[in-house]
Amino acid sequence: MVSAMEIYMLLPKTNCKKCGLPTCMAFAVGLLGREKKIDECTPLIEEKKYEAKLKKLREVMAPFENASETGLIIHPEKCYGCGNCVVACPVNVAADPTRCGIGLGPQSDRVILKVEDGVVVSNNLKECRRFGPNKILCNACTATCPSKAIEFV
Amino acid sequence: MEAVTCTGCSLLCNDIEAAVTDEKLFHVKNLCRKGHGHFQAAFSERTVPMIDGQKATIDQAIARAAEILSSAKKPLLYGWSNCTLEAQAAGVRLAEKLGATIDDTSSFCQGILMERILDGRIPTCTLDDVRNYADTSIFWGADPSNSHPRHLSRFSYYPRGEKRQKSYEEERTCIAVDVRRSATAEICSNYYYRVAPGSDEQFIEAVLAVLDGKIPKVADKKKMIELGSILKKTEYGVIFPGLGMVYSLQEKMDLFERLVARLNEITAFKVVPMVGHYNTRGFNELLREKTGFINRVSFSGGAPAHGPEHSVMAAAKSCDAALVIGSDPLSALPFATAKALAKVPLIAIDPRRSLATDAARVVIPSAISGLEAGGTAVRMDGMRVKFEPFLKTDLLTDEQILTKIMEAI
Amino acid sequence: MAPEVVVTIVTVSDIFQDEAGRKSRFSDQYRDLSARIFLDKQDLAALGAKDGQRVRVAGELREGETASIVVTAKADEDEAHPGLAFMFSSPWSNQLAIEPASAVGEAAVPAFKSIRATVTVSDENVTGISEIFSRMRG
Repeated sequence: MVSAMEIYMLLPKTNCKKCGLPTCMAFAVGLLGREKKIDECTPLIEEKKYEAKLKKLREVMAPFENASETGLIIHPEKCYGCGNCVVACPVNVAADPTRCGIGLGPQSDRVILKVEDGVVVSNNLKECRRFGPNKILCNACTATCPSKAIEFV
Repeated sequence: MEAVTCTGCSLLCNDIEAAVTDEKLFHVKNLCRKGHGHFQAAFSERTVPMIDGQKATIDQAIARAAEILSSAKKPLLYGWSNCTLEAQAAGVRLAEKLGATIDDTSSFCQGILMERILDGRIPTCTLDDVRNYADTSIFWGADPSNSHPRHLSRFSYYPRGEKRQKSYEEERTCIAVDVRRSATAEICSNYYYRVAPGSDEQFIEAVLAVLDGKIPKVADKKKMIELGSILKKTEYGVIFPGLGMVYSLQEKMDLFERLVARLNEITAFKVVPMVGHYNTRGFNELLREKTGFINRVSFSGGAPAHGPEHSVMAAAKSCDAALVIGSDPLSALPFATAKALAKVPLIAIDPRRSLATDAARVVIPSAISGLEAGGTAVRMDGMRVKFEPFLKTDLLTDEQILTKIMEAI
Repeated sequence: MAPEVVVTIVTVSDIFQDEAGRKSRFSDQYRDLSARIFLDKQDLAALGAKDGQRVRVAGELREGETASIVVTAKADEDEAHPGLAFMFSSPWSNQLAIEPASAVGEAAVPAFKSIRATVTVSDENVTGISEIFSRMRG
């Protein structure tokens, strides 16, 4: 997981306030919290001298672009395909008690995590308990992962 | 999508769904990364019949193999752990006919433990029993996250079971005993007991001590006492020993047997061996039924003889020809053994290229069991799994190849 | 004399290295994942080496024969384990594994999990699978 300091090092560090925040560090924190977008730092986009930093910043922030609204990110290259998250997920168990519930691959379409082509994929994540008005801090999938392939931003 | 069985490890998962198109694995569900690698392997580096580095027909290769084996005085037949029961049975018949030595991978893996389990000296259970009843799972010198990836999600930690409806959240404890914080040990978090390499004997003595209410001779006494109380409160415990534990104890397996017996005076405690290949246990059971021994058997004197001199490591040096089937001892065994095997005329029966096929005088391509060939195998817990192939091929199965070799002798 | 560190190597399994090996034993990927030794941070420092540095790992086999391979050293960030090193089971680690003493005991298993070896910094290339293969034939 990238840190606010690592993001700060890729910004102009001029505290010009064009993004609406008082300091570049505040902007870094805003990016990490997904309250700000990279394009709001106009000097970074417009000035040629920041080209390399902008490129690196986009690379570093790319996983966050892909994170769902629940904040779930999957890193398939780290995934063991072990199915721990598929079987631990309370939504999966409720949706498919005779399959996921007892450790087998899902058959229901309503599951939100399943293993395909050797790695986990997510589906219909708005059913995830971390989403919506009654959201809770469920961490069944991240806590059971042997390799931090699945995490929340 | 077709329902298929994975032969990538000894869990033999059969809830896999696969679809193939244009000679490529198009889409597959529920297969872990290890199984996925196993399936993908069907589509590359496939062997063709070869004699002395030149392409040949399958019939020529089989004939040459039969020639080499029948003129050898001390042939060795090695591999077997990646073969179906049907092929293994053909292999044992071939060994008998040739008066050969036959051995499998258990010889340098879980053999010492498997013997005691099959002899009934160490109580065991099925993986379904684990899922339904186990409230304590102990991974000892084993890292299933890497070796048997779906172990925890299908059986030992995360799924619900008959008596474990609340599963990992409230009703199961996972313990890891290891020399390092493996991926599995990480999952076990506070229940990770670190031991120094080779010191499992002392660990067992310490556990026996706390079970008797005595002070254990370890640095972290509090943690060991805590382990003792977990074990005493267990309703149905299962120990999964891996190579780490087996190699550490070796000749001292009696001590582990004593520990398990002691635990069973208090509560139910079973042991399931974490064998690697998909049908190692099948070979051990089959050979034991026929000869009384699980591995390392020689038929040279007519009646089956057993001993370390008939292990692949010793026989590699004394044999004058070897058949290697579904295995790559040149990759998997110590250099001295690999070197000895590379010197004798080798016949390799393998679907894919390996160091053994590169070194072999005769290469015989075979259908991959589980994917291209059907048959029966025995899961790590003794359950029999029968499977049908889902990929079409013209290649001969291991069983067919062995039968043809036997006919030619 | 160049600094050296004596370690006991324990071989372990790894799902990514296993996957690469299933696809091909002859690939660069399999070599890159297998030809590595995971050293304790302090042991690595004692060698005067950094993470990613190539090292020669040498062991004594039976009958006074030595074997050595060049692999990449990796620093173990996780746990301290001075004197202990880890490698994934592979043709590389098997270059150093000793067979059991012949015809002794019920067990007679190779010492896959207690390989004694000496590690020194090296600037040679990582040993390739073809080199390992030719040692077997030669």
